[in-house]
Amino acid sequence: MALAQRAYNDLRLLGVCAVLALYPLLDLCLPTALQIIPLMPPVLIFALVGLGLCVATGFTGLLHLGVAAFIAIGAYTFAITTCSIYPFQLPWIGGVILAGAIGSATGALLALPTMRLRGDYLAIVTLGFGEIVQDILRNLEVITKGTQGINPLRGPSIAGFQISSVTPTGWYYVILAILAVISLLLQRVVNSPIGRAWFALRDDELAASCMGVNPARTKLATFAISAGLCAIAGALLASFLGSSGEPSNYDFQVSIMALSMVIVGGLGSIPGAILGAVIMVGINSIVLAKIADGLSNVAAGSSNVLLSPANWKYMIFGLTLVLMMRFKSEGLMPPRQTGVKKP
Amino acid sequence: MSAGDIPLLSLHNITVRFGGLVAAHNVSLSVSGKQIAAVIGPNGAGKTTVFNCVTGIYAPNAGTVSVQGRDIQEALTWHVLCKSLTTGLLCGTALMLSVNAQSLWDAAINQLYVYEQPFDWLASIKAGAAYLHNQEYPLTWGLLVSGFLFATAGSLTMWQRTRHTPYTAVRRKISRTFQNIRLFRSMTALDNVLLGMHSISKTHPLATLLRTKRFRQQEERERQAALELLDFVGLEGCADSLASSLPYGSQRRLEIARALASKPLLILLDEPAAGMNPSEMGELTNLIARIRERGVAVLLIEHHMKLVMGISEHITVLEYGEKIAEGAPDVVKRDPKVIAAYLGDTHDDH
Repeated sequence: MALAQRAYNDLRLLGVCAVLALYPLLDLCLPTALQIIPLMPPVLIFALVGLGLCVATGFTGLLHLGVAAFIAIGAYTFAITTCSIYPFQLPWIGGVILAGAIGSATGALLALPTMRLRGDYLAIVTLGFGEIVQDILRNLEVITKGTQGINPLRGPSIAGFQISSVTPTGWYYVILAILAVISLLLQRVVNSPIGRAWFALRDDELAASCMGVNPARTKLATFAISAGLCAIAGALLASFLGSSGEPSNYDFQVSIMALSMVIVGGLGSIPGAILGAVIMVGINSIVLAKIADGLSNVAAGSSNVLLSPANWKYMIFGLTLVLMMRFKSEGLMPPRQTGVKKP
Repeated sequence: MSAGDIPLLSLHNITVRFGGLVAAHNVSLSVSGKQIAAVIGPNGAGKTTVFNCVTGIYAPNAGTVSVQGRDIQEALTWHVLCKSLTTGLLCGTALMLSVNAQSLWDAAINQLYVYEQPFDWLASIKAGAAYLHNQEYPLTWGLLVSGFLFATAGSLTMWQRTRHTPYTAVRRKISRTFQNIRLFRSMTALDNVLLGMHSISKTHPLATLLRTKRFRQQEERERQAALELLDFVGLEGCADSLASSLPYGSQRRLEIARALASKPLLILLDEPAAGMNPSEMGELTNLIARIRERGVAVLLIEHHMKLVMGISEHITVLEYGEKIAEGAPDVVKRDPKVIAAYLGDTHDDH
């Protein structure tokens, strides 16, 4: 029975991978209005943010409202270390790894004074941190160019093939590969003593501590990993957009968006975090964008705000969250353990 | 035990105060290896407080706890000292650099870098150093030294606060269960026991990521040991059930299995028989005896006199935070102070 279940799971995973890997071929055959691959990279990048948030909030139970700050730190680190207006000019992969490392270090620094906080208090501190980082980036004009943003930024080049905004399929595969590797590694961590310590800390901090888990050190590691993943996502985003963007692109909305993704997908589940990102960001940057394209032909020049699909965004998000909480509060793909049986 | 006369656990004149309330006053007790000992007393006598002192949840206001003759607090080592000094140095440097960040960046990078020309890093470092050298000293040395002092003091304080914590107590081979069951409810029974091994399992994070052969072998070994422990407490076949879905008595036994997973020398059971029916209590008595046969000493808090008097070799009686009697069950049972404490004699001198 357990073996059959495992074989089924493996088969399903293989199917999902095959669809993800082969879909771009199908996409090329579709008319332009239905092509979605050029819009997919931000969705996959947000899936990575979802994984990062899932580590802190889903696995360890630390409510984190400042992930946007770490996306910003990743984006700016990548921009400063690879852009040609600075002397560093690291190769693409060097910039991404350094962004992850600096993001992790900042995450650990944020965790140091907050190790003894839980729940609401931690949420307030992370929220404040998100605002502080935006202000710092805006005011360190000499280093970060203030509100101008840093550009131009390059995409990766693989075996002499330069990936840029004109090769969206290339971007899709690069980010998909990074997402796949990171999900696999994260799954391994979750199924190890480290992951067990995270879950234990979420369930009962005192009991975990009495069983030998050092809560401070574990939270520090959680924050560092979470921040590192978000920073890598930030670096990819900056590289994809060709610019770090301005600091206010990384505001509280982004953090809340990430949190809703994780909740919709199912707190504490890796596939859930990815699915949540695909749904929430997918609605925002694919479905609404396509509807907007369609509507602009029909109702060109109309000044009615309701005819602009970008304005539907928050209504749809709000409705999704309310419906989720009402009908499936554990998320679309909750972690397997809570699905077994309930007392 | 290596030395017969050194007790496994000894508490010397422990006093715990919460504001004006004295929860434990000058309590001393000791447990020797492979012994079953008990702490009894009316509600609010300070029994759990004593347990919490041993496991580092509370820090006693006075008195010492020692395990195998050695203080349970971690000693100050060179390692700790070096770590604090390094932290201090890093923080001091970071403080100095961040306060001067913009002008330093301007002097060392913006003024020297010509777009798309090769960059001389040595010249940049020299320019940066020269800039710092020309600054007023409160902005350079002042910040470095104050950051260093602040962070060193801070990390030493943190160390001082964590000298005796629940997780250091487990490392000293003392494990416990809780009065109100505290299992990891969203984890399976097996995972609960596996987590109990946290203090003895050594895995390198890198080995986790690579799933090395050694890592997988160790996981398998730990899994077997955990299954064996579940068998031992009578929970065979429940390995994959969620902890929260187990019946009450099984949850109590799972907590014992989890506590045993850290291979302790002493296990503290806080009211293990609370809420159990007579047949479950019989099984529990049997289980406690078998725990001792594994070479693990047991210290229990219990209200069921039948259970305590039946299996304990040594009993300590607390009332209002003070020790009023101790000794073998027969002696304690006849002690007039104990009888008064339980039956509420008003002529007692308390």
